[in-house]
Amino acid sequence: MPESGYPWPIETSRLDNGLRVVVSEDRTAPAVAVNLWYDVGSRHEPAGQTGFAHLFEHLMFEGSVNVAKTEHMKLIQGSGGSLNATTNPDRTNYFETVPAEHLELALWLEADRMGGLVPALTQETLDNQRDVVKNERRQRYENVPYGDAWLRLLPLLYPQGHPYHHATIGSMADLNAADLATFQAFHQTYYAPNNAVLTVVGDTTASDVFALADKYFGALPARDDIPSAPDGRSVPTTGQTAVESVSADVPAPRVYIAHRTYPFGSPGYHVINVLATVLGSGRGSRLYQRLADGERLAQPDLVGAYGVDLAHAPAPLIATATARAGVSAERLAEGLAEVVDELATVPVTAAELDRAKAMLSTGWWRQLSTVDGRADLLGRYATQFGDPARIVDQLPALLAVTAEQIAEAAADVLATDRVILTYLPEETS
Amino acid sequence: MTLIADRPGPGAARPYRFPPVVRRAVAGGQVVAAHLPGQNLAVALLLLDVGAGQEPLGKEGLSGVLAKALEEGTAQRDAAAYALAVEGLGTALSTGLDWDSFQASVVIPVDRLSAAVELLAEAVRTPRLDPADVRRVRDDEATALRMDWANPGPRADAALRADLFGAENRWGRPMYGDPESVAGLDVEDVTVFHSEWFLRPGTLIVAGDLDRIDLDALAAAAFAGTGGGPAERGGPLEVPLHAGRRIILVDRPGSVQSTLRLGHPSPHRAHPDHVPMTLAGTVLGGAFTSRLNHLLREVHGYTYGVRGDFASSRRFGRFAVSSGVQTAVTVPALVEAVGEINRTQASGVTEDELAVARSWRAGQLSVELQSPRAIASALTTLVVHDLPDDYHARLRESLLAADVDQVSAAAATHLHPDALTLVIEGDAAIIRDELTAAALGDLLP
Repeated sequence: MPESGYPWPIETSRLDNGLRVVVSEDRTAPAVAVNLWYDVGSRHEPAGQTGFAHLFEHLMFEGSVNVAKTEHMKLIQGSGGSLNATTNPDRTNYFETVPAEHLELALWLEADRMGGLVPALTQETLDNQRDVVKNERRQRYENVPYGDAWLRLLPLLYPQGHPYHHATIGSMADLNAADLATFQAFHQTYYAPNNAVLTVVGDTTASDVFALADKYFGALPARDDIPSAPDGRSVPTTGQTAVESVSADVPAPRVYIAHRTYPFGSPGYHVINVLATVLGSGRGSRLYQRLADGERLAQPDLVGAYGVDLAHAPAPLIATATARAGVSAERLAEGLAEVVDELATVPVTAAELDRAKAMLSTGWWRQLSTVDGRADLLGRYATQFGDPARIVDQLPALLAVTAEQIAEAAADVLATDRVILTYLPEETS
Repeated sequence: MTLIADRPGPGAARPYRFPPVVRRAVAGGQVVAAHLPGQNLAVALLLLDVGAGQEPLGKEGLSGVLAKALEEGTAQRDAAAYALAVEGLGTALSTGLDWDSFQASVVIPVDRLSAAVELLAEAVRTPRLDPADVRRVRDDEATALRMDWANPGPRADAALRADLFGAENRWGRPMYGDPESVAGLDVEDVTVFHSEWFLRPGTLIVAGDLDRIDLDALAAAAFAGTGGGPAERGGPLEVPLHAGRRIILVDRPGSVQSTLRLGHPSPHRAHPDHVPMTLAGTVLGGAFTSRLNHLLREVHGYTYGVRGDFASSRRFGRFAVSSGVQTAVTVPALVEAVGEINRTQASGVTEDELAVARSWRAGQLSVELQSPRAIASALTTLVVHDLPDDYHARLRESLLAADVDQVSAAAATHLHPDALTLVIEGDAAIIRDELTAAALGDLLP
């Protein structure tokens, strides 16, 4: 296995308007991934405007100065490409993978919506995409059992006023109140070249990409007063356990235990990543061995633990289990808490550590096995840490985590401020 | 103006080259491999010639229980030791089932591939299948299906499948079974199914840097202790269309969305119209820019998304549209969807739409050449459907060559708007009267 976590070239440039451009050449397949990270997410939303960053992401597909409504999708798909975009608390990313000969088209489309969205934005488009997003909320959060767990966990983990307090999807009331002027201002405020990173990975060269980036993005004006999101890095300790119990139309009791840990990208988060894998990833994990296999409290497919990779505040660690038939929520919650607590008291063995690192290592290479996976990670490190080459150190850093560090992290962040969310099946009348 | 108004044209097209395919008969089985020089990650996939279609009627879900039971200990080690051995290599045994085949695979850095394939074979060929473990796995699988069936979708899918193909046939029942069928399985069902189907050699598919892989050694491990030839597959089935449109309402009280599944039977995979039919399906519902998504999402805002396509296996196929729409607009959404299927059947496609569909499908073949996982999946298609090594290159050419007349003719022949079954899983108390009044078809009791 290569020593580096990223055995491909990385070349960077910055246009005069502040747009950072990252290129990683790989001629293996005749495809290129184009990826834009905008450093704006739901953490920037003020009260009363929850869900706006994500609704805005939808509007970015609805036409710009030189691109008619719906034409963006048509041109990318009509070139054989795949495309999408996502919004999370930290950032908004837009990406497409196209056969290599269509690279220039993809850059033209991205430049047009970076520099020319506002004149094309209409009330009709906003109303339509507001309805689409409300349907997305129904489909993903409201109409599925346990679908609102994330919406409930966030306010329990982060206090009122914290940038992660509210969920990216937003509230129906705020979405209903969204007006056109707010979105025009949103674009003018945040969608500037100096608030973005353009990454291109695949069948091309850095010099070609730099020239094309300059051609299409070079004349877009920078903006010098982009407001920052509220600072969420320091979250006061409550010393309390926050408990929420929900009676809902769910098929079995389910428990979530969550904690704030360390920001993604910090050394502590690498430890949490390995800790979560030891705890809850795979059949050899502690949760599986203890709750699904050993005591048979939990359904085997539904135990797990994972960190949520947010970079601007202590990121969440979430452990979850769903009860087997005949097991009460109380018994399940006790069992889950016991296994989580033991991370601080029962040392992680060499075999546990090796297993976790081997799995994380394969996971890393899988993520990098496609040009779009690579582009998104490079964009992330450039946006959040100022240097895409930080990617090279990530795998070695994970592989260097020790059992002692895991025990220390567990004692540090899992001992207090616990969040426990429980779902109970509704009594049927 | 700071923006460039002129849309750039494409550069010189890169040639499409599917990686060289290696086929070899080793140790009683077949090896089909693709060479990916320099690739650090490799995939090995054992493909068995047994799918959900081979499960006996009334035993739906048998393959799923067996797949899980494979990891509950082997002739050589117990379940915990097996998990540690596999995950200690950094991989996981991943299993998959469709109507025609069963697969077990590993994705792993290439230097550990042979150890992973030995473990894969150990589970598939020599599982312990201890009766107490099998019963527990069966109960867990029944529970897992109950959990899944609490989501919107599975009940609607089952209702559509039963109405299209008849619940008296295996292929008229859910591919993975339902909570009751799985709960009703016994230990012997599982052990007999294993000895009948999982000890035949099958095909080992490998995608990776073959300079660093000993295919013969992998094959020897994968095929050790196997015997028996390929099974009789059965020919394409004649599935009759319904006379007249039918409506099935699946009650989901309190649902804020209605889950829609519209469909009818369509040709099997080897049908000569496969390419034009795929393109007709793409124009109608297969891409974000398709007619259905444009109308229901981008024009009306009824839904987060809608998809429609033709899907096929060796013996049968189906056309289906699926979506989730806000409860209040259930009937208007159905009227629009049926109307669009009608228009596409009657008037065909335009050159403008087809241009997008054909270059999208063709271009995706290039985009999908990247990961070992995607290449392994492409090789699997070759094996399951007896296709030649240059199939993907030829497919690309036939997609690009398909013209409006051919695709419109496929739409006219293979879309049957008047034989659709419309399944609506939603709050029946709210939507029933409006649904009846709309007279879209016969509401089944």
